[in-house]
Amino acid sequence: MADDEGFDDFQEEEEEFNEEDQEVLDDLAEYEAEAVEILAQDQVSHMITREKRITTPYMTKYERARVLGTRALQISMCAPIMVELEHETDPLEIAKKELKEKKIPFIIQRQLPDGSCELWPVQELIITD
Amino acid sequence: MVKEQFRETDIGTVISHVQFTPFSAKDIAKQATIQVINRNLYLPDSTHKACPYGVLDHKLGTSEKDKKCDTCQQDLATCIGHYGYIDLELPVFHVGYFRACINILQMLCKKCSHVLLTSKEKADFLEILKRKNIPYLSKKALRKKIHEKAKKNNLCFNCGDFNGVVKKCGLLKIQHDKFKSAKKNESIIKDYVESFNFAKEFNKEIEPLINRSHEILNPLRVLQIFKNIPEDDVPLLLMNPDLAHPKDLILTRILVPPLCIRPSVASDFKAGTTEDDITIKLTEIVFLNHTILKHKAQNARIQMIIEDWDFLQLQCALYINSELSGIPLSMQPKKFTRGFCQRLKGKQGRFRGNLSGKRVDFSGRTVISPDPNLRIDQVAVPVHVAMILTYPERVNKSNIEFLRKLVMNGPDVHPGANFLLQRGTDMKKFLKFGNRAQISKELKYGDIVERHLIDNDIVLFNRQPSLHKLSIMSFYAVVKPHRTFRFNECCCTPFNADFDGDEMNLHLPQTEEAKAEALVLMGSKSNLITPRNGEIIIAATQDFLTGAYLITLKDTFFDRANACRLISSICAYEDSNLNFDLPKPAIFKPVKLWTGKQLFNLLLRPNLKTETKINLRTKGKNYTKNEDLCANDSFIVVHNSQLMCGALDKGVLGSGAKNNIFYLLLRDFGEKYAASAMLRLARTASFFLMNRGFSIGIGDVTPGPKLLKAKQELLNNGYSKCDDFIKQLKDGKLQCQPGCNPEQTLEAVILKELSVIRDKAGDACLKTLDRHNSPLIMAICGSKGSFINISQMIACVGQQAISGSRIPDGFENRSLPHFERFSRIPTAKGFVENSFYTGLTPTEFFFHTMAGREGLVDTAVKTAETGYMQRRLVKCLEDLCVQYDMTVRTCTNDIVQFSYGGDSLDPAYMEGKDQPVDFKRVLSHTIANVLTRNEKPLSGSQIMTIVENTLSNNEFRECSTDYLDQIKEFMKVIANGVDKTRRLFCVKEDDTAIPEVLFELDRITDSQIVTFLTRCKDKFIKAKIEPGTCVGALGAQSIGEPGTQMTLKTFHFAGVASMNITLGVPRIKEIINASKNISTPIITANLLIKNDAEFARLVKGRIEKTYLREVTQYIEEVFISDECCIIVKLDLERIRLLKLEINIDTIIDSILASKLKIKPPQITAISDQYVKVNPSAKGALHDSMLKLKHDLGDVVVKGLSKVNRAVISMDEKKANEYKLFVEGEGLKEVMGTHGVDGNFTTSNNTIEVFETIGIEAARSTIINEIAYTMTSHGMSIDVRHVMLLADLMTYKGEVLGITRAGLAKMKESVLMLASFEKTTDHLFDAAFYGQEDEIYGVSECIIMGKPMSLGTGIFKILHNHVKKSQPITRSLLFENPKFHTNQLQLDL
Repeated sequence: MADDEGFDDFQEEEEEFNEEDQEVLDDLAEYEAEAVEILAQDQVSHMITREKRITTPYMTKYERARVLGTRALQISMCAPIMVELEHETDPLEIAKKELKEKKIPFIIQRQLPDGSCELWPVQELIITD
Repeated sequence: MVKEQFRETDIGTVISHVQFTPFSAKDIAKQATIQVINRNLYLPDSTHKACPYGVLDHKLGTSEKDKKCDTCQQDLATCIGHYGYIDLELPVFHVGYFRACINILQMLCKKCSHVLLTSKEKADFLEILKRKNIPYLSKKALRKKIHEKAKKNNLCFNCGDFNGVVKKCGLLKIQHDKFKSAKKNESIIKDYVESFNFAKEFNKEIEPLINRSHEILNPLRVLQIFKNIPEDDVPLLLMNPDLAHPKDLILTRILVPPLCIRPSVASDFKAGTTEDDITIKLTEIVFLNHTILKHKAQNARIQMIIEDWDFLQLQCALYINSELSGIPLSMQPKKFTRGFCQRLKGKQGRFRGNLSGKRVDFSGRTVISPDPNLRIDQVAVPVHVAMILTYPERVNKSNIEFLRKLVMNGPDVHPGANFLLQRGTDMKKFLKFGNRAQISKELKYGDIVERHLIDNDIVLFNRQPSLHKLSIMSFYAVVKPHRTFRFNECCCTPFNADFDGDEMNLHLPQTEEAKAEALVLMGSKSNLITPRNGEIIIAATQDFLTGAYLITLKDTFFDRANACRLISSICAYEDSNLNFDLPKPAIFKPVKLWTGKQLFNLLLRPNLKTETKINLRTKGKNYTKNEDLCANDSFIVVHNSQLMCGALDKGVLGSGAKNNIFYLLLRDFGEKYAASAMLRLARTASFFLMNRGFSIGIGDVTPGPKLLKAKQELLNNGYSKCDDFIKQLKDGKLQCQPGCNPEQTLEAVILKELSVIRDKAGDACLKTLDRHNSPLIMAICGSKGSFINISQMIACVGQQAISGSRIPDGFENRSLPHFERFSRIPTAKGFVENSFYTGLTPTEFFFHTMAGREGLVDTAVKTAETGYMQRRLVKCLEDLCVQYDMTVRTCTNDIVQFSYGGDSLDPAYMEGKDQPVDFKRVLSHTIANVLTRNEKPLSGSQIMTIVENTLSNNEFRECSTDYLDQIKEFMKVIANGVDKTRRLFCVKEDDTAIPEVLFELDRITDSQIVTFLTRCKDKFIKAKIEPGTCVGALGAQSIGEPGTQMTLKTFHFAGVASMNITLGVPRIKEIINASKNISTPIITANLLIKNDAEFARLVKGRIEKTYLREVTQYIEEVFISDECCIIVKLDLERIRLLKLEINIDTIIDSILASKLKIKPPQITAISDQYVKVNPSAKGALHDSMLKLKHDLGDVVVKGLSKVNRAVISMDEKKANEYKLFVEGEGLKEVMGTHGVDGNFTTSNNTIEVFETIGIEAARSTIINEIAYTMTSHGMSIDVRHVMLLADLMTYKGEVLGITRAGLAKMKESVLMLASFEKTTDHLFDAAFYGQEDEIYGVSECIIMGKPMSLGTGIFKILHNHVKKSQPITRSLLFENPKFHTNQLQLDL
């Protein structure tokens, strides 16, 4: 369709702003360079203890997706299954069932921006839906 | 099979960072296997073999299938290629580093190579530079600072030598003008000139040239200077001495890339091969090398060698960047070649074409077509496609039998398999040949079978342009015959697809992980809602709406047979065995008849066991009045999934609304129910329509005599009115509209008059048309077309417009030669009075095509413009992500928002307007749902106590206090309502005499309130945004995608006619570019006294620019015998009327202050009305008189100079409140004007607001302006997206545009910047600084093939080792003290 082709022409636009912009590297950055020294982040990631965890007790959909995917891969590679099966053969379906029964033997390591991390076993998370 | 160990996909070799450096000659030699010296490509004999040590030597790898690499003896597929090098006879500049070279030279002493700084300065800078991890931006700034400092010094502090200006001269040449800055007579110049004395004696010609002499710094000289740079000074150039030295910036050796990246193509037609541009360039360079060598050996003239050198320089430059500008005509290359820069640059270049986006396997593309019988999460895949796309399934216990069957079937029968990968071998077995029965028998656990795509595989389905995340969704595949992809029409909206020949793409994810992520995150069922504003986007469309409307009409009845037939059309997929509880018929006699509404109820709730009870009260599309007694049956009430009244239309079934039936199902019961209800509707509606039939005939668009008469009347009326206006204009009687001249006024009134004609014709149509008219039905239910379309077909096409006005005169003073000159009558300016049914006259047809073309041009221009805007937005926002501490940060951990949108709520879960819950709806739903027959109704105060008690419960602590306050406020309103009703009927709580029934009014009970509050809490918790959500990308898409739907050039009146503001895409562009000069700057000023028109005029006078000529009766020259002067007579009446605060004195002051250079003695006030101005004595008297007379009028006597004009506007809602709109700049001045309320004054110019008020004000200006532009186009966007954009643009403390300049200040990563724009510049820069690029961001991760740290990559998964319970240690028998006896001893 025409939509696909009409989409190609925005390159011309690029030349509009020119060198002037490049020169605006102004005093702010300069000042920063002199006044502030950025120290390397402390690489040692420390665990937060179970009682002091602050993140949401709910399992996010990203965690759900990855847990299911990882587990499905394990199951497809013949990992022992933690639930009773009723005719399910698709690894993903089995993984879903395991998650529903909270039988997936995973720990989610949530990394916080300050370098610390929290450990949340799947069993401890609240799973909605 | 033994269990294989699970390995995380992101371990192994991980690229942690990329280091950019210039390539030194030494490193080149280290990399290379051979030195290339032979300038020939092939041996001269006919064997067609590559010359040894030529550019095509097979030691450099291989580019042909049948030849092996001479270095590693591997073939095309496995040999990675080997490098060679060419030693240049003379060094040349590297184009990429040329600018850097000049920069360095400007900082160095040309004699001793020291940096031109005092030792103190050097030490200071070195101190700063010693720090580790200096940000890239600061590095650039530092370099600039050092450069500026060093450039100023022209005496070397080390050797005391004099240094001049270094600049570029011509193509890739540097000149050093040593004495330019020195004074003429200084001793150095004298010494310099004297040094030529001896030469002068022999050659007189050089004498005039000596003073103009300057040194050309050729590469050889520059190399020498660079080599001499002392080790300590290198860091001052901001280069990293550990990685590179300035001398590496000069090319002395060139790397010859392996053959595989510049393959020679053998053609069958002519003998020989076609060589790559790079190969050709390399041979030329080798050739030039030879020439120089030859000339040197022959002792040729110096000019010849210089010429060769220049040419070598040019070729080496073109080799790297073939798009050099400024090549002299004689040296210009004959044809375009692709240098390395060209390979990297642009859309098809390496970065955007091969690294950020790649060609993929396991994908298909074909035409799409609709299939209402498919579930909304299904796509039909043609068998042909299914047999080519494969999925590698690993054999395990549960699927071995199934896979055996597939292997038996082989590649040519549909559920089959194409390849087999046996465990432990690398060989792929093609299943077309060989003994398949045998193979399938030998199948063992751990083998991988590449089986065909089969039903219920998860596929990704995509349509370009992919403007938002909903443009690619995952579906379950259903393998079907024929050749098109098919899906339910409900899914058209997110893709923006129709079936007029659109093609779509299909991808088959290849791993379990990919499948799971696709299903959970991208599934069409999980994406019924657009994150743009939380409205439902996958919902009934077109035929389904028509069908649903027809079924639920008041007069649609079904007998038992038809009712059952219709309802049984639902039975499919999981509904195949559904039980229906057919309600009692609405009519018993003479036959049992069911209404359509009753049958529709069965779609929502087929039997009484189903729990899906929804409640809805809303106005329909054609709502008139009186709620459920609406004459058009367009007030929809659904009570516990029973459609009580109202014919269903687009508002309650279609996409883009929140009072939608499917939306309620989705919110209250889950996506499964919404999806299945949608399927049921799709099947029933299309089944019903198929039986009923629905089409358009000529009869549907034939106007009746009544309509024709009405139309004629309308036309006559309108025409005569227009004629009237034209006549008024001619007579000069036309009342001008504010800010318009008579012509413009005429256009405006005529346009208004004519557009009324079409609307009225449309109304007349509606009245006269039959209820069963098909186009009318479609327009009413909203499935397709509008009332205007109908009226255009039947009655009148109406006024054709080009850029918002009538057709302009394109043919000497008229629009077309058919009309008289200067004709303003409707037909001559593009009014089409015919309908499409009656047919257009030739002129009308022509006008129609003109308007039509404008639309086409507009869309063509728009796609390109919005596409680029979208790309920029996404590049800037792509790495913003909600972290686990609920902050929004970039990949480098810069905080952009402390909590997303201020409340950490997900826009997709907003049920109300930018609020998580629509309390009113939830309450009425709860009251209908929760039946509490035996509970006592509560009074207002009782309600409030229950609310307070419940809300103080522990579980409500998760909700924010703001939210709890909202709930309380809402409940207070409800409680007050209850109290009011009770007061009305004099109901008292403890009065036993009152009949019980009165308590039932506004009944609300304890458990209902508790349920309501719990539901509110649950919804709020669900609406919290999940950590990992890439809010940036979502925001960018949400702002960019509606851009494509906006019409390009729109102007709009800002409160007052004649004051336009830019809207649409251009306005959005202005805002996000952070342009300094916007096209329509407007300052909105509130007044200190709001409701006083006089006061408003007074302030307006202070702001608006007033010229002298506007307040004078005349400016005349006066010639009398002894004097000539100019007399200005002020119009005091006018000054009074305009409320200008000027008098004769202020006017004289302004004249004196103006640029006319009039001195005080020249000017005298005669009275309070007359000013006398004498011309200056200089120049011709007459001329200066005339000039003075002319210029005096232009003196500004009052107002702000930057303001063009100010307009008073009355508030639309609150009458008698006045505001000022000021066109132009000068926010500070306007705010400072007496009478203006500075606290409530703002401008729409972001930059100006930033400079006057500050960064926070700029942020809210951005938010308000984008939101305003979007809403005025009828586009709703959740404010959180706009907030995020505004926050990103302002979080660095200045307003950064979403442009390449802004991006460079937001992001540090070279790869990211290179993949955006100016690819090669960024790369060369990075190499110069020795920048180390850590792979954090989204773009970089994609380029490096690393999982990125957002979404599913924000956390890690560890295995939860089950602690093995230790076996109980049984104590040994003799350890038990019980058995310890002393008896034995005793015996002894």
